[in-house]
Amino acid sequence: MIACLNKRKNVIQRVTIFGNVRKINFPMLIRVLGWLLMIEGIFMFVPTVTSVIYAESDAMVFLLSAIATLATGAVMTFCIRPSNTQMAKREGFLLTALVWVVFSLFGMIPFIFSAYPLSVTDAFFETMSGFTTTGCSIFESVDVLSHGVNMWRCLTQWLGGMGIILFTLAVIPMLNYSGGMQMFNAEVTGITHEKLRPRISQTAKSLWTIYFVLTTILTLLLWAGPMDFFDSVCHSFSTVSTGGFSTHDSSIGFWNSDYVMCVVTVFMFLGGVNFSLMYKASHGDWRSLLRNDTFMAYIATLFVMYVIFVISIILAGHAKTIESVTIDPIFQIITTITSTGLTADNFENWGPLVLSLSFCLMFFGACAGSTSGGAKIDRLLYLLKNTNNELYRSVHPNSIRSVRINGNVMAPEVVDKVIAFLCIYVMVIAVGGIMLTAMGLPFMDAFFSSFSCVSNTGLGAGVTGYGGGYEIIPDLGKWVLSILMLIGRLEIFTVLILFTRAFWKK
Amino acid sequence: MKIVIVGAGEVGSHLAKLLSREEQDVMLVDDDAERLASIDANYNLMTLRGSAISFNTLRQAGVEKCDLFIAVTPDETRNVTSCAIAKSIGARKTVARIDNYEFLDKHNSDFFTRQGVNALIYPEYLAAQEIVTALRRNWVRHWFELHDGKLVIVGVKLRENARIVGMHLKDFARTEHNFHVAAIKRRHETIIPRGDDLLKPGDILYFATTKEHVGDLLGLCGKEEYRIRKVVIMGGSRIAIRLAHMAGDEFSIKIIDNDMAQCRRLPEKCPNCDIVYGDARDIDVMRDEGVDEADAFIALSDSSETNILTCLTAKELGIRKTVAEVENLQFISEAEGLNIGTVINKKLLASSKIFQILLDTDVTSSKCLALADAEVAEIEVKPNSKVTRGPVKSLSLPYGMTIAGLIRGDKGMLVTGNTLIEAGDHVVVFCLSGALHKIERLFS
Repeated sequence: MIACLNKRKNVIQRVTIFGNVRKINFPMLIRVLGWLLMIEGIFMFVPTVTSVIYAESDAMVFLLSAIATLATGAVMTFCIRPSNTQMAKREGFLLTALVWVVFSLFGMIPFIFSAYPLSVTDAFFETMSGFTTTGCSIFESVDVLSHGVNMWRCLTQWLGGMGIILFTLAVIPMLNYSGGMQMFNAEVTGITHEKLRPRISQTAKSLWTIYFVLTTILTLLLWAGPMDFFDSVCHSFSTVSTGGFSTHDSSIGFWNSDYVMCVVTVFMFLGGVNFSLMYKASHGDWRSLLRNDTFMAYIATLFVMYVIFVISIILAGHAKTIESVTIDPIFQIITTITSTGLTADNFENWGPLVLSLSFCLMFFGACAGSTSGGAKIDRLLYLLKNTNNELYRSVHPNSIRSVRINGNVMAPEVVDKVIAFLCIYVMVIAVGGIMLTAMGLPFMDAFFSSFSCVSNTGLGAGVTGYGGGYEIIPDLGKWVLSILMLIGRLEIFTVLILFTRAFWKK
Repeated sequence: MKIVIVGAGEVGSHLAKLLSREEQDVMLVDDDAERLASIDANYNLMTLRGSAISFNTLRQAGVEKCDLFIAVTPDETRNVTSCAIAKSIGARKTVARIDNYEFLDKHNSDFFTRQGVNALIYPEYLAAQEIVTALRRNWVRHWFELHDGKLVIVGVKLRENARIVGMHLKDFARTEHNFHVAAIKRRHETIIPRGDDLLKPGDILYFATTKEHVGDLLGLCGKEEYRIRKVVIMGGSRIAIRLAHMAGDEFSIKIIDNDMAQCRRLPEKCPNCDIVYGDARDIDVMRDEGVDEADAFIALSDSSETNILTCLTAKELGIRKTVAEVENLQFISEAEGLNIGTVINKKLLASSKIFQILLDTDVTSSKCLALADAEVAEIEVKPNSKVTRGPVKSLSLPYGMTIAGLIRGDKGMLVTGNTLIEAGDHVVVFCLSGALHKIERLFS
């Protein structure tokens, strides 16, 4: 028995020793991609059914897209028999980045052939904007779109919100091994990736259960209000995923209902909370919420911002109704911090301070491990605590201080990584902005749309401003923005690492 | 099955990786965050930072609902305490690693049961046991006993002089039915053989057989069993002391150690051995001490490299059987390639022992051994399963698997084409890696 285990150990060992030397396992990559595509194909039946119910001509388009996606996936899965099923770190990164691109490539098919056809560039932009929950739309008007198309737009946000890989990990047992681990780490947002349960598929299932339950509750609550069933499903998809797509041009302002505003605000807030934390809280561990520094920082930020916003509104003379100092600012703060990207009434008139604070909220976003975008409040916390230590150290050079998060001392390497992340994050925004100015966009708009896409918020200013959409940006600019959205969603490293030489070197 | 492992040292982390690959729910606890970080990021298991003897940590680790609790920190008292705490919280079965022979004594086992420790693991003792087996059965490469020795699986390396080299499997298998060739390991690949496979020198053959027929294999493979009398051990480690206690009367043991203080202590601990002060790496010392006349050479020093190299020297001096302790897992395959008879690794011994305990706890889990790229499983046949529908030859079993033998009631027997498998039999199956889950369907 011993000798045998010895033997077996060899094999395992060989894999790990030569893990860095090995070529990237492309056959296995393609096979797993095939599996994922088949899942996307199955999801395409949802808009198909929607279109059939509303007797729309787009039903055929969705059906054919679904079949094409399913077939491609099936061919990729069943025609390739990889001799080696091992997937290591590099495959994890590559696959995760590829999945998001391939999903967008297939997800855009319905947009190209629907009743209001988009060009390939526009369709890709729209789909990527959906999957990354950015929520900026290329359509001039969404009211005219068919129910099927609207459903598909919201569904892409819902899928992308929690994560495509995470969904797959929950349903395909094939990925329930260390290769799946790598993909989980590459996709889930945050500094450290907390596991809820020992096996990765169990963790994925727990997170998706929370997500699914939230969506269901929101749908029912919205349906109980002024919305019809279709609108409530679409809006709950785009709210819990903090994406921000709507089925109407005037977004949720269409219903002009405080009830809808309140319900949506609460669920956007929940979408910005760490899902692992929600899982624990839902299992009776309420104390972990209070002990969690990030969650408390999230609440504190909301509170401070609310006070400032209300003062600004009163000073600007817009405090005419009770709503304008209660629900409106709260809604606006939460939609910005969670990167949902909806706008309340006459938000632009609240004064420049509110606008600049909104930039800060957009930059940092909500908790890591949630569906929100941005650089995440966790990192802000690291940054502030570390800055505080550095300042203290300049007065007391011999003191040893460490960054404490949730009562645990963080290793200096982790802090370094966070600081590096924030620097690169700003650089990515700048590089994106510069590229857009090169295409002739005004300075302010170029940087703002770059910022808005990297943080997955999807707000626009100026050309892309309120009322105006992203349709004015040149084609090349849309591709740049699409890539920025992906970089922002996968938190930079997963995408950027693919462009380093070390990644491809044998 | 939920398993909590405390101590992410070499045994703990090896075991955690092994079990996570076997699709168990593994929770690894250690107080060193750095050690956990790399395992957490790369393996499908969960880690927790905390003390092994903290009630809080253990509760957090989910010990209340765990089926198996394993304490393998470097400190034995900590392990025992940790197990006691875990048991009181609600762990179903607990295992502690110990460092003390006294603890294993049957008279003292009551104490541990009362403390809540169900099983004890003593790696040095296991290593000594393994060495004794290797010395007694010096003609085989591997020796596994299944089901309390009712079936035996023997791995033998074929030399040029073996009678069966150059024969097709079907030519000699038909005449004698006391064994079954279940797998052939040729260089780096494992073959599940068919009748027309040719046997070549250098192959390692895995035979399934019963104990009374093991002797037949000797002649077949051109081996002879020789009695080992004179044994030279390099390094007076704890394994050496344990070995001297266990088999000091059977063998005449000479221990060479290059630490004077250790040499002075050894006579007290192993009174029946010769102790020599010297460096076993020095070939003159070896000759002076008559190492070239010894039957077996066992290298048990702290350094794996030294152990491997001195074993090679000993081979050159003409010693037939060499045993090396190799603690670096990476070196094991190299050491085996270098013709070192038996390689001992405490970590693997401890983890496989724990693995066995695990199998005892969970009857449905049937995998029992694993070779380089093949697996051996013991599977219980369920009523109305596919394999019971006719004699083995008419079942059209898939490629890449073979039924090596079966255990019916209390008797081990071999399987031929005409055997009819019955429900309730325990069947021993050899198959290529990864095919096991497909094969399990045949039996249920």
